[in-house]
Amino acid sequence: MQLSITARGKNANVLSHLLAKNPQNKYDRTHKGARVRLVYTTFTEEEVSLCLFAEPDSIDMVQNQKNLSDITQYMNDRQFVVSSLFCSYIRSALSTALNGKPKPEWASYVAQPFQMEATFGPVATDLPDTALKQLFEPLGYQVIIQREAVSYTFTAKQKSSVRFVTISGQVPLQLLLRHIFTLIPVLDHNKHYFIDQKEIEKLRRYGEGWLDDHPLRDLIIKRTLHFSKLIREMGLTKSSKESEEKEEGQVPLNQLRYETIVHTVKSLPFHRTIVDYGAGEGKLSERLAYIEGAKEILAVEPSVHAQTLAQNRFERLRDRKNIHAQPEMVWGSLFYYDERLKGKDIMILCEVIEHLDEMRLERVFATIMGEYQPQALIVTTPNAEYNARYQLFDSYRHPDHRFEWTRAEFLNWCHQLTSCYHYEVVTTGMGENDEKYGEPTQMAVFTRRKGGEKHG
Amino acid sequence: MDKKIVLPAMGIVLLVGPSNSGKTTLLARLIEEGMIQTTEVVGSDQFRMLLSDQPYMDWTGYPKDQADVLYQEYQEVSEQAFEMMEKVVEKRCRLGKLTFVDATHLHPDDRAKYLQLGLKNHVPVVAVGLDVHEKALLYRDQKRDYPRGKNRIKQQNYRFREVKRNIKKEGFHSVYMLQNEAINTVRFERLPNPLWVDCGAGVDFIGDIHGCYDELIQLLKQLGYRLNDAGLYIHPTGRKFVSLGDIMSRGPKSLETISFIYQHVKAGLAYMIDSNHGWKIARWLNGNQVKLAHGDERVAEEFNQFEQEYGPEKTERWKEEIKAFLIEAPAHLVFQQDGIKQVVAVHAGIRDRYIGKQSKRIADFCRYGDVSAVDEHGKPTRDDWFVQHQSAELIVWGHDPQPYPMMVNRTINIDQGVVFGGALTAFRFPEKNFVSVKSMQPFTMEENNPLWKWKKKRFSPPNMQKLITGYGVQCEGYGEVKVRGESVKPAVDLFSHFTIPLEAIPYLPPTMSPPEVARLDGYLEHPAEAIAYYRKHGIMRMIAQKKHMGSRAVLLIFRDAQVAKDYIGYQTNGVIYTRTGRSFFHKDDERQMISRLQRDFVVGGYFAQHQTDYVLIDAEIMPWNLKAKELIQAQYAHVGEAAIQDRQHLLDRLKQIEHAPADMTPWLDELAHKLHNAEQFQAVFEKYCWDTSDIEAIQIAPFHILAHSQKTFFQQSHEWHMEQARKLSQMSSLMIETAFRVIESEESASDVVKWWEKITEEGHEGIVIKPDRLIRYDGKGSMIQPALKVRGRKYLSIIYGMDYLEPENLARLKKRNPRKKQHRALKEFALGVESINRFVRQEPVERIHEAVLAVLALESDPIDPRL
Repeated sequence: MQLSITARGKNANVLSHLLAKNPQNKYDRTHKGARVRLVYTTFTEEEVSLCLFAEPDSIDMVQNQKNLSDITQYMNDRQFVVSSLFCSYIRSALSTALNGKPKPEWASYVAQPFQMEATFGPVATDLPDTALKQLFEPLGYQVIIQREAVSYTFTAKQKSSVRFVTISGQVPLQLLLRHIFTLIPVLDHNKHYFIDQKEIEKLRRYGEGWLDDHPLRDLIIKRTLHFSKLIREMGLTKSSKESEEKEEGQVPLNQLRYETIVHTVKSLPFHRTIVDYGAGEGKLSERLAYIEGAKEILAVEPSVHAQTLAQNRFERLRDRKNIHAQPEMVWGSLFYYDERLKGKDIMILCEVIEHLDEMRLERVFATIMGEYQPQALIVTTPNAEYNARYQLFDSYRHPDHRFEWTRAEFLNWCHQLTSCYHYEVVTTGMGENDEKYGEPTQMAVFTRRKGGEKHG
Repeated sequence: MDKKIVLPAMGIVLLVGPSNSGKTTLLARLIEEGMIQTTEVVGSDQFRMLLSDQPYMDWTGYPKDQADVLYQEYQEVSEQAFEMMEKVVEKRCRLGKLTFVDATHLHPDDRAKYLQLGLKNHVPVVAVGLDVHEKALLYRDQKRDYPRGKNRIKQQNYRFREVKRNIKKEGFHSVYMLQNEAINTVRFERLPNPLWVDCGAGVDFIGDIHGCYDELIQLLKQLGYRLNDAGLYIHPTGRKFVSLGDIMSRGPKSLETISFIYQHVKAGLAYMIDSNHGWKIARWLNGNQVKLAHGDERVAEEFNQFEQEYGPEKTERWKEEIKAFLIEAPAHLVFQQDGIKQVVAVHAGIRDRYIGKQSKRIADFCRYGDVSAVDEHGKPTRDDWFVQHQSAELIVWGHDPQPYPMMVNRTINIDQGVVFGGALTAFRFPEKNFVSVKSMQPFTMEENNPLWKWKKKRFSPPNMQKLITGYGVQCEGYGEVKVRGESVKPAVDLFSHFTIPLEAIPYLPPTMSPPEVARLDGYLEHPAEAIAYYRKHGIMRMIAQKKHMGSRAVLLIFRDAQVAKDYIGYQTNGVIYTRTGRSFFHKDDERQMISRLQRDFVVGGYFAQHQTDYVLIDAEIMPWNLKAKELIQAQYAHVGEAAIQDRQHLLDRLKQIEHAPADMTPWLDELAHKLHNAEQFQAVFEKYCWDTSDIEAIQIAPFHILAHSQKTFFQQSHEWHMEQARKLSQMSSLMIETAFRVIESEESASDVVKWWEKITEEGHEGIVIKPDRLIRYDGKGSMIQPALKVRGRKYLSIIYGMDYLEPENLARLKKRNPRKKQHRALKEFALGVESINRFVRQEPVERIHEAVLAVLALESDPIDPRL
């Protein structure tokens, strides 16, 4: 990771005083565990060029990390690419210039623009070249992006995933460095440290006088602060806030789905005990908790991450009014058997079946209808026909979907089940009705037939 | 003749009688005669002494206010002493000891307490009453150190008369009343525990026979028993056989079987355990109102036929004999070797705390198993009784037909449903092996055939409650592997979202550890340490195999799609999955690969030649980028580019230097060297990658043939496995063989080191060193590492970073310790062997999956992944 700076013009050699670095010496220090080196490659009155590079301790970087779960840890681009880490390594070497505090006799040069050129890299960023340019050009720079050709003995990749960026413009050293220190973390988007209040303060200090007018101000703030609480504190510009609110104004399909399911549950004669199978983050279970007459809600979910989110959601329910049953998390999935799920009033599979391989459905429903035998079973799944409205072409609505059924396919499957098990079924659609394609989501409500038992 | 008292092997003997009736004297005599030990006697005086330092307190003659205090003090001491004494009696009951309680026991409540204790701990309670003339009592009282006083003696004697009237009705196992002189002359006899049996020359346990007489005879012949002139089957070395009950009903020849077993038990050649069918027939013979069903009606029919043939008189006699035989059958037997409990034989099941004890409740449990399915606190039990077995004896049982001897937690079920068309199994002890005879009865595909039902239910989803809070897996040859709930959860998550159907995953490959860090300078790993490891554990012959750098894969290829249904529950030509159970290829590619492999194997005659429906293979699939394309792009290639460009750029920049403040040579040299490291790094991983637009470019290198439909190959040598791989490579162009060398001398060892140096310098990953066979043990009987990987210097740069060989880096990396990794590798290996054994035996998915799930659970614990 490296940064080269060249200044041209009269008194360019003042740079060494602004940096407080003797041009006759090689600078070679260890700072925050990285070896930081600086050397002047050109030094004349009219032109000064210096190269600054850092080399973190690759072993220490890994061994002192807490999370060892990734095999590629020693294979980490953090030791090579410019990132917030790089900024923290070189901050000390550049502190005099960054703070604009040279010896008093050179103070008048702090605000003096020079013809500057800075090259830094390698940059690993998800932003395209155009976005890179849009970050620097409004600040008066010309931007050159250099991306090397790659060649491998096999088809590995089309182009290199790292770039070098050169910006040039008429600008004082301090401002150049502030631009760089602000925008490198924006490019990298991968903070190595805990982001807190200090980051806002740093952003305000380095961004003083230019950030508020930057057309990509919101992008810079979002990618620097990451967390909505901090971003809110920093404040976004008016126009982008409006567009976000507008999005929230629409009733999303999943909310509609939950409402329809809740309505269906209420209309069923028995809804004392309810199982939300594949509960995910618990959004549906949360709504079920408000249903009058509900006594037990089991939210079954195998994902560790989703369970944590659901657990928090349910905790927040505790003190609320009108809660009839506090949802309870149950570890489980459709591929395992749990006697606790036997004989409930209602079992719900909301947008679950399409995440299973189709060939596994038979066994899963043998367990549900043959063993658990809920009084009612509600199943929702996407209507594949409606995808035409989304212009998805051949792909499914979600990358993890293993299939999506047309209305005829779904109906056929439902009838297969009712012919094997002691249930009858009613299917409907939900969401906006398209004359040709039907509704985006389809739902089946299976209810257990009265009378003798029949085994699948 | 003098009166005789028979003492049970364990339980409580309550002496009942007023003070001075001679209880302590009687016990002292028994101790003196060596009949009982001092520790077998507890008494209230003894505990009063222990707690208050005095055996008795006298409050007579004190003024009332002082007497009250003394009396209360005495009451308090007595209460505490009795409580303590009861505790001791209870603990002794629990441990199966005999205990004499030396106290008056005149109050019904005093006796009821001990009756309750006996009931609770399943031991008999015996009462011995001492009936002495009142005059004698009073006379003796005057002579003792702390006389109880005339009034109290008279009062006690009055009570005792009441006791005599009622005690027989109170529920004692037996009640003895000794009068005056008899107390001095009574003789005692101690019974050994009737449930304890010595193993003698060896024992053959036989599962449920159900009237399959012909199979029984065949089995006994196979076990080496020979018919003698008296019509009995005798073993030449004196072995005995033990029937686990249910010898009759359902099958064709119940009476012949009963008669056969009865004759052998009577002759002391065999034992038979009580059982549900046996008990039912016994009660029927006893004239109880029972409904004969579940094949019991066939026994009645046979008796009718007998009667027609031999007349009513002979039949009645015969029925009486059989009834007595069945009623007296023990609920279970404990077989001992050198006086130490080894095997418990029981029909349907037993709790650990019941072992060696007798009671009605135990008898029921042994006959029917855990029918209540509730624990002591009335909560429903989650597990079958055998899941809860923790003590060290082996429990052999029958009752619940399983298609193969089922071993769980040191319990073995040997009812293989001979009457349902299965097999009759014998378990030989101390050899601990099985002999079985195939059934001659038809196998019926109907709901009431438990073997058929069992087969149908095999693929039911595993029970989450048994797994999610953590569990243990008994691994043959290794012992129990435990996994914690916290690790099971993420593994369940994986199996619920990302893997192929869990019934199609009979095995997950274990992790492999490197050896100790290389002693040699400049190396992190070296073959010398691996060879030394095995030699240290007594393994002199090893194999060194080239380690391919691709992705681990398990291949399960079926002879045809139809047969798969019988093994994994659905039709498929096969599956190929990764080490975490995910599908190796995308759908279409997988279909193409599998049908191609299947065709090659069929054409090559593999399935026919080995008489197998499938082959399960552990392999590496190359190239690396086939599976790891995204990882290579995002990590390896990306980091390589970043490093090369960073270093190249910097080098170019510093070379252009016009102004030289100081000597730049060291910096330039260093950068040039590091640029070389980066370039070499890229060359290393490029070696493992090539384009595979044509499936012919894919290479599969098998290293173990894990299983066929009837057998496993863990006992075969690695050379054999390599030979199989060679044959497979001849059958299919997708398969390649693996280069290997055998290490059996210093010379071959140093050849292997040279070979390793050569291929790793070329950039190959390295070698794997294994003992000659998959499963090997050290001198102490512990399983040793099945394999150690020794990776090359160049290869390790893609693991530890391109600059890892820089001396200051290597010095730090050499501080690693592979011990934990080795421990885990062994556990995962044992789990893999176990899960395959279960798969080959066609055990339920739940049993196979618990071992497979445990591998992923172990992997979810963080250990340095770079080892």
